[in-house]
Amino acid sequence: MKRKLAPYFMILPYFAAFAAFHIFPIVFSFFISFTSWNGISAAKEFTGLANYVRALTKDSFFFVSLKNTLLLTALIIPGQVFMGLLMACLLKDFVGSRVRGGFQLVNFLPYITTSVALAIIFQLMFDWKNGIVNGVLNLFGIQSVYWLGKGWPTRIVVAVMEVWKNYGYAMIMYMAGLSTIPEELYEAARMDGASWLKSFRYITVPLLRPIFAFTITTSMIGVLNLFDGPQLLFSGMNQPLGGPARSVLTMMVRFYEASFLNFEFGYGSAIAYLFFLLVTVLSGLLVRLFREKD
Amino acid sequence: MRVKRILLYAVVGLISVFALLPFYEMLIMGTYYTDQLYTGIKLLPGDYLMENLKNILKHDFFLFYRNSLVVACSNTLIGVTISTVAGYAFAKYEFKGKEILFFLVISALAIPPQLGLVGFVIEMRSLGWSNSLLPMIISGVANPFGVFWMRQYIEGSVPGEMLESGRIDGCGEWMILVRLVVPIIKPALITIFLILFLWSWNSYMVPLVVVTNQKYYTIPLSISLLSTEFKNDDAARILCLSLSTIPVVGMFCFGSKHLIQGLTAGSVKG
Repeated sequence: MKRKLAPYFMILPYFAAFAAFHIFPIVFSFFISFTSWNGISAAKEFTGLANYVRALTKDSFFFVSLKNTLLLTALIIPGQVFMGLLMACLLKDFVGSRVRGGFQLVNFLPYITTSVALAIIFQLMFDWKNGIVNGVLNLFGIQSVYWLGKGWPTRIVVAVMEVWKNYGYAMIMYMAGLSTIPEELYEAARMDGASWLKSFRYITVPLLRPIFAFTITTSMIGVLNLFDGPQLLFSGMNQPLGGPARSVLTMMVRFYEASFLNFEFGYGSAIAYLFFLLVTVLSGLLVRLFREKD
Repeated sequence: MRVKRILLYAVVGLISVFALLPFYEMLIMGTYYTDQLYTGIKLLPGDYLMENLKNILKHDFFLFYRNSLVVACSNTLIGVTISTVAGYAFAKYEFKGKEILFFLVISALAIPPQLGLVGFVIEMRSLGWSNSLLPMIISGVANPFGVFWMRQYIEGSVPGEMLESGRIDGCGEWMILVRLVVPIIKPALITIFLILFLWSWNSYMVPLVVVTNQKYYTIPLSISLLSTEFKNDDAARILCLSLSTIPVVGMFCFGSKHLIQGLTAGSVKG
C-alpha cells in the first residue's frame, strides 16, 4: 500500500465507528428534541421549542434535579479533593516505600468495584434497623438516623458513597503530580526551618495547581453525570426514583426517567441537551478560573 | 517524632480499613443465609457459601457471566485495536487534515456520553440489534481517550528510524505496525486494555436502557433488575457480585502499575 494513503486507512475505523455510533445518535437526538415523539408511533410531530420551554418553565422536577445535582457536586468535590490529597501526601511523606504500593492498591479498590455492588452494600450498611453505621452511632449514645428515608441524610449517603468510590482515583492523580515536584525544593525549605505544613502550603499546593485543575474538572464532570448510585440505592425499596422527597433525583436520573420510563423521547432528548449546555458552561467557567489564577 | 509517625501510620491504616470495609463485607455477606444478614454486623465468614452458590447457579448466573465476558472482551478488543491503529497514524504519519482530525478527536472528550443515548437506542432498534449483545459491544468502541493516549505513548516511545529501516527492508505499512511497533508498545496496550475492560465490565446505564430481553442481561443488570425470588435473596446477590468483581480485581492486581500509569497520563504532561 502506498505510504501516503496508509494513515487514512488507519484512522478510518475510528472515524467510521465514531460517526455511526456517536455523531449520528447525537444529531438524531437533537432532532428528536424538537418533536413530541414517544419512540413508537410512526409520526413524529414537530413541536418546535416546546420541550425546552416545558423543562425550563413547567417541569418542577427539572429544577429539583438541577438543584440536587449542584448540591451533590458541592458536597462531593471538596470531599474527594480533601481525601485524595490527604492520602497522597501521607503516603508520599510518611509511609515507607515498601508498603506504599499496598496502601495505594487498597485505597484504589473502591474505584474498580461496580456501582451495583456499592449500592447494595451501602443499603445494608446504612440500614435503619440493622446497619453498621447506626450500630456504631448507638455505641456512642447517638440515636439511629433514618439514613435512606429522609432528604438530607440521603444526600449525605450518596455523597459518602461517591467520595468513597472515587477518592482513590484522585489520590493516584495527586501522587503522580507530587512525584514531579523536585525534592530539592522541600530540602531547601527544611534547611530554612520550614515546617511540614508550611512547605505543604507554599510548595505543594501552588505546584500542584495543574493537577488540581485537571482532577477537579474531571470529577466535576463525573459528578454532574451522576446516575448509578442515586438510581440503584433506592431500587426495590418502595421509594420513588431519586429517593425520599426525590432528594437525590439528579439530572441524569431525570433524563432517564423521562426518556426510558415515561417514553418521552423528545422531552428526554431536550433535557439531555440542556444538561450538555450546563456541563459545558460549568466546565468552561472552571477552566477559566484555573487559568486566571496562573 | 516517633509518636507522630505512629499516629500518621494509624491515620493511613484507618482510612485504608474504611476503604476496604465495604469490599470485605461484600465477600463476607455472600457466605451467610440472607435472614442472618439483618441480625447485626458480620465480620467473620459464615457457613452458607455452598447453598448460596447453588442458588445463584439455579438463576442463570453462568449465562449472565458469559454475557458480561463476551461484551467486555469484544468491546475491549475492538476498542484497543481502533485506538492503537488511529493513535499510531496520528503519531507517526504526516497527512493532510491531520491537525483538524486530531482536534475532532480531542473535542469529543468533552461530550457527555449520554447526550446521544436516546438516538442510540432508536438506532439500535431500527438496525434490529436491540435483541442481542451487539449494542453493548459496540458502544464506546470509538474511544477518543484511547486514541489520545495511544498517540501520546507511541510518539514518545517509537523511534522514527526504526520505521524507516523497516521500510527499507521492504515491509508494508501495516506490517511495520504489527511486527515492529506492537511489540514495543506492549505496556501501553496493557494499560488501555485494562481501562477499557474496567469501563465495559462495570458499565450500567447503557445496558440498562438498551437491553430489553433478560437473555442478554450482564451481571450488573441481572443483579439490579431480576425480579424473581432472587430479588429478596440478598446473600446470593452479593455472592454474585463478589464473583463478578474477581476478574477485575485480579486483572488490576496484575496490572495496577499499568492502569495507574494510564489514568494519570495527560494530567501530568498536559
